[in-house]
Amino acid sequence: MHTTSWHSVSMTLDECIKCNICTSYCPVAAVTDKFPGPKYAGPQAQRFRESGQITSPDVWVDYCSACRVCNEVCPSGVKIAEINARAKAQIVHERGIPLRNWFFGRNEILGRIGNLAPQIANLGFHNPVSRLMAEKILGVARHAPIPHWSTEGNFRAWFARREKLRAEKKVAYFHGCSTNYYEPAVGKAAVAVLEHLGYEVVLPPQNCCALPMLNNGEFPAAEKLFRSNLKKLAPYVDRGLPIVGTSTSCVLVLREEATEMLDLENAQTQALKAGMWDISEWLRERLEQGELPTDFRELQMVVPYHVSCQARAHRMGRPGLDVLMLIPGLDVREGNAKCCGLAGTYGYKAEKYDIAMQVGEDAFRFVRAQGEGVRYVTADSEICRWQLEHGTQKLGRHPVEILAAAYGLYDLDRRQLLAEMK
Amino acid sequence: MPKIETDLLVIGGGATGVGVAWDAALRGFRTVLVEKRDLTHGTTGRYHGLLHSGGRYVVKDPHSAEECIRENRILRKTHAHCIEDTGGFFVVTPEDVNAYPDQFQAACKNLGIPCEEISLRAALQREPLMNPRAARVFVVPDGAADSFQATHSTAQAAQIAGAQILNYHEVVALIPAEGDPARVVGARVRDVARGEDVEIRAALTINAAGAWAGVIARTAGVTVNVIPGKGTMLAANHRLINTVLNRCKMPDDGDIIVPIHTVTVIGTTDEKVQDPEHLTIEPWEVELLLREGDKLIPGISQARFVRAWAGVRPLYQEHYAGASRDATRDFVVLDHAARDGVAGLLTIIGGKWTTFRLMAEKTVDKACEQLGARKPCSTAETPVPGVEHGHYWLGHRLREVEQNHLQSELVCECELVTRAMLENAARNNPTLTLDDLRRDVRLGMGPCQGGFCTYRAAGILHELQVQNSQSKIQDPNTWHVADLQSPARNAKLEIGNWKLGVGTPNLLLRDFLQERWKGLLPILWGRQLKQERLDELIYLALMNADHLPDEDAVSPMSDFYSRRGISTTADTEARDA
Amino acid sequence: MLDLIVIGAGLSGMLAAHTAARAGARVAIVSKGLGALHWSAGTIDALGYFPDEKTPVSSPLAALPMLAPNHPYTLCDAPAAWREFAALTHACGLPYAGANADANLWLPSPAGAARPTWLAPRAQLAGDLARAEPMLIVGVRGMRDFFPELIAENLRKQNHAARAAFVPLEVITARHDSNSVQLAHALDDPARQLKLARELKKIVQRGERIGLPAILGLDNHPNAFQTLEAETGAAIFEIPTLPPSVPGIRLNDALRRELHRLGVRVDVNMDVRGFHADGARIAFVESETSGQPLKHRAEKFLLATGGILGGGIQSDPTGKTWEAVFDLPLTIAPNRGDWFRARFFDPAGHPIFRGGVAVNRVFQPVNAHGAPVYANLWAAGGVLAHADPILERSLEGVAIATGVAAGKFASQA
Repeated sequence: MHTTSWHSVSMTLDECIKCNICTSYCPVAAVTDKFPGPKYAGPQAQRFRESGQITSPDVWVDYCSACRVCNEVCPSGVKIAEINARAKAQIVHERGIPLRNWFFGRNEILGRIGNLAPQIANLGFHNPVSRLMAEKILGVARHAPIPHWSTEGNFRAWFARREKLRAEKKVAYFHGCSTNYYEPAVGKAAVAVLEHLGYEVVLPPQNCCALPMLNNGEFPAAEKLFRSNLKKLAPYVDRGLPIVGTSTSCVLVLREEATEMLDLENAQTQALKAGMWDISEWLRERLEQGELPTDFRELQMVVPYHVSCQARAHRMGRPGLDVLMLIPGLDVREGNAKCCGLAGTYGYKAEKYDIAMQVGEDAFRFVRAQGEGVRYVTADSEICRWQLEHGTQKLGRHPVEILAAAYGLYDLDRRQLLAEMK
Repeated sequence: MPKIETDLLVIGGGATGVGVAWDAALRGFRTVLVEKRDLTHGTTGRYHGLLHSGGRYVVKDPHSAEECIRENRILRKTHAHCIEDTGGFFVVTPEDVNAYPDQFQAACKNLGIPCEEISLRAALQREPLMNPRAARVFVVPDGAADSFQATHSTAQAAQIAGAQILNYHEVVALIPAEGDPARVVGARVRDVARGEDVEIRAALTINAAGAWAGVIARTAGVTVNVIPGKGTMLAANHRLINTVLNRCKMPDDGDIIVPIHTVTVIGTTDEKVQDPEHLTIEPWEVELLLREGDKLIPGISQARFVRAWAGVRPLYQEHYAGASRDATRDFVVLDHAARDGVAGLLTIIGGKWTTFRLMAEKTVDKACEQLGARKPCSTAETPVPGVEHGHYWLGHRLREVEQNHLQSELVCECELVTRAMLENAARNNPTLTLDDLRRDVRLGMGPCQGGFCTYRAAGILHELQVQNSQSKIQDPNTWHVADLQSPARNAKLEIGNWKLGVGTPNLLLRDFLQERWKGLLPILWGRQLKQERLDELIYLALMNADHLPDEDAVSPMSDFYSRRGISTTADTEARDA
Repeated sequence: MLDLIVIGAGLSGMLAAHTAARAGARVAIVSKGLGALHWSAGTIDALGYFPDEKTPVSSPLAALPMLAPNHPYTLCDAPAAWREFAALTHACGLPYAGANADANLWLPSPAGAARPTWLAPRAQLAGDLARAEPMLIVGVRGMRDFFPELIAENLRKQNHAARAAFVPLEVITARHDSNSVQLAHALDDPARQLKLARELKKIVQRGERIGLPAILGLDNHPNAFQTLEAETGAAIFEIPTLPPSVPGIRLNDALRRELHRLGVRVDVNMDVRGFHADGARIAFVESETSGQPLKHRAEKFLLATGGILGGGIQSDPTGKTWEAVFDLPLTIAPNRGDWFRARFFDPAGHPIFRGGVAVNRVFQPVNAHGAPVYANLWAAGGVLAHADPILERSLEGVAIATGVAAGKFASQA
């Protein structure tokens, strides 16, 4: 997991000038002594790690939440969060993976199993007794916002049975696991918006992006998943079909994180990097090309917009905001909280739940400060939406859902396409 | 003038001198060692840290090679904690494909140096940045050696055996016997910190001053023609490899890369110089090392370098006039009674770090002969203090800091030096400069090169000074100087007496920044230049440290730090104008 | 379409963006990371020393006319820019002030040296070394970046009455980690402010002023400062610490809030690596992203990427140096041997740090013939040639003066 090539993210430790800006902004180090800060655990500790070491010299890197705020503020370009991820992977390589983290890494399988009988699964898993047991036995935080399985069937099944728009212009859609199993509504809204733009939506075969495995240091398994996606998406990339995703964290993993953490850079990964888009980013591009319809209805409401750390990690600006700002009447309020705290699977872990909630406090406070009348809160990452719902009791919606509503295609409250409600 | 009487006076606090003191004390001689600066300040502290397997000399100098492998095996036992067991590769790069590799392999076999050829694939798996176009790779038992720690540990062993070690005691002149100018009876030395002279009378004086041996001998009217072979080295910011890489060819410039502690060292050049004291690192040397380094690790020239330095090999060959690269690496004990008709004086010269123990043994054997004593050498079977910790490994400080939650105690964040490590080192060793503490605990040796820790270290030492901090001196049998390397063990120690020799914190700060600067100058570009500018921001814009009181104060080292080998064209032009 | 994109979110970039936005331009900032404010004392140093001169500058205003003719200060109305800046700090609740006369203010440095500065935040003003009250310098045991004994002793050596004392870390935080920012966050808590004040009251003597490390709160800083002064009855002043700099972060945050109020979007973590020019006009700059490079279009561009420290100027072992975004001509000598002097503290400074991008009277980068390289490009701050702001102690002064000037010229063009 250490230096294997000059491209390796580990090499960026040489950019570090020890200035500690990252430590000053780290949301985790701000609330706990268990993590010594990104500079310490990243570029500094990395000089004391070596390939072939008998055991990893340090384990507190496990408390890095991978939010990447450190990367964001670093004036020198050190890939701190990725260095930390690789150090974590080294520890897993040496010591094996805890059962809980093994489960977290396989949320796609969990999604699929629960999907077989979602009502039973929800009942079975989302009750205080089983959550308490899960905490005691597995270490899954009992209060953490674990999503419910969709009781209306999964997204792919919905997509398969509906009548599609056929058009010259085509776009491929990467829905990710959460849309497929937990929030099909996000996918429905996305498809509606894309078709509204006059694009035919195609659905490539796909599997879990590997983010949970990467976050939990299961690199060999993550590499299998990533390579599988590479293969499945390659025909679409080769045909020049843009692939858009609604889960900004999946897009980040596929475009960059997996390649960097696994040290896999090649022509194929580069092609995927160039061919894949966060849906808001792609819509902003359409806007700039003058292709985005502006037949919006007025949406009179205040929506707090939490800019997910994973969205910021794209370095693509605020495309969600750029697009939502077009909607008449809509008062989108951008927050500047660094991270919601949940950060992938971090806040689901019993020993990290309190840290995650403390980290999220800034985001919760921001949402609360926007007034009692606020009903929805938006964020590009599902993880953040779940955490914000948990921390503020508001309803979390993806920007594309709000956009779909503004195009008159979608009921934000019931999370259904208007066309299907008739 | 204070006087000291002893059996043996050893001059020189490098590996050899300290080794001689250790050996002599173990054999029961009353022994005093004097060193004009800090231990290892000379060549010992300026080498790349390669524990030779002998492979490097196996074709060219089989005798040296044989000594190397023997001593390699001994030091792994007697000085285990000063060694990292990295192993070494001899790499046949595309430039080196000729008859040499076969000769090399055969010679290793002849001399009993373990040497196993491995596949390129296996080699690259272990060292992915190694040249993938290499033709062949041999594995040998090279290692990385911490010459600071080894010398300090040997010195403690010598002290436990009764030797007296006097740092910052510079020889003014050897003393001739009254009425017998052809007999040396000791030396007059200057206690540099106190500024007073001391007379040391000894039955036998051993000149182990390395590259300075000629200077010492001259004060007794004896000529020793040391061939000072300057070697320049560059340290990259982190470990690019974890195995010593050697080119498989006749030894030449820039053909060794050593992973030592947190850095990767490219070594060395070899150039005959006149003055061992003030060495200049020439731009061509830096270019050559980068170019040659690229042959073993393609791309290393683009890495971040944090420092350049030069050491001077004390090569010796009677009546030799050739290039220093071709001079023998062998050592010799000069019996000046037989050679020059001057009794009471031996000179030990030549050799290399790996064979320091053997050199000491041969020297003390000769001393026994001269003093008519029959005392066998026992150093090969006597481990020095700290050896129980086993070989050190790169991650040990990181692990200890984490396990003991010491991160907020860090003074030097780059090299993980805690406040307790610094304080104990300062209390335990006579400390004139922060550079002395660098050799003790690696203060300031990381990427920021003193940017953050210089201020902290000066502030901490000043607090000790103000509080007139005295700790009890613990029995040297209950703690080991090797403990100074350990964040965890230091947290529980409080050793030694406060012995800050000279200077205000302002001087400590100024001296150390200048000392770091001279090693930075040859490699300041790119990222290290950016780092340097941050260090400037801290010490100029934030601290105004160039306008602190005591502007005129100087330490015994100030001149050395500002003079040594760093004349830049910018300077010349500015001063000429 | 934006009117102006500023590249760089340091002091010069923020001031340039602020000036242009105030003049009505639509402005955005893109930046690779956060700037040098995070490392500085948080003061505005205008001019402390001339290169190679021992005597410090007593009045920057009087000294400006004596600067070399191509010094950035000679191209702009620096004093006016500093006044504007002071007014801005008052408006955004972090007021800065200087000495009463047109002279430099001398404040204690973290090493106990007297450091010349022009404007300081209110929390540092009582450290004015022209004042006579004796100083009690208070450190926090266990804080590794502040040494009260060292400061007090050096102040005494310079004939200022000063003594040192410590308070225990537990007064401020129960946490183990204790860098300056973490301690400052802890002191945002009014209860801890009060606790510290009571501790100080026990050790302060009548007539003393109290110098503390610059950790007196971040978001709740004014309250922390007032509580300490009210409870102890003594004048309180902060002394800056090793980076990260709490006073610098406060200033950074205040300016960012002001920019936000003016509708200036600041995107950090955008590393501008390329650009496209149609003839003499820059059409867009490109920053790297996780996907395709992001194009940033605007009518005008302003380069505020900093010098060697900021990353605006890069170099390699062959002695090559280059400007990182537009590859503008630099004034740096091509031979590394010409870059440095043998002494780290050489009062003449190291020649390389005087090098940079040369600009004309309206702060447009120019080529060797003095002609603008691009018609719609301006530059400010550390990237500029003919000054070594760290050596001169003019780092923030130059950033502000040139930022304001370039922002003004860019918005007027």
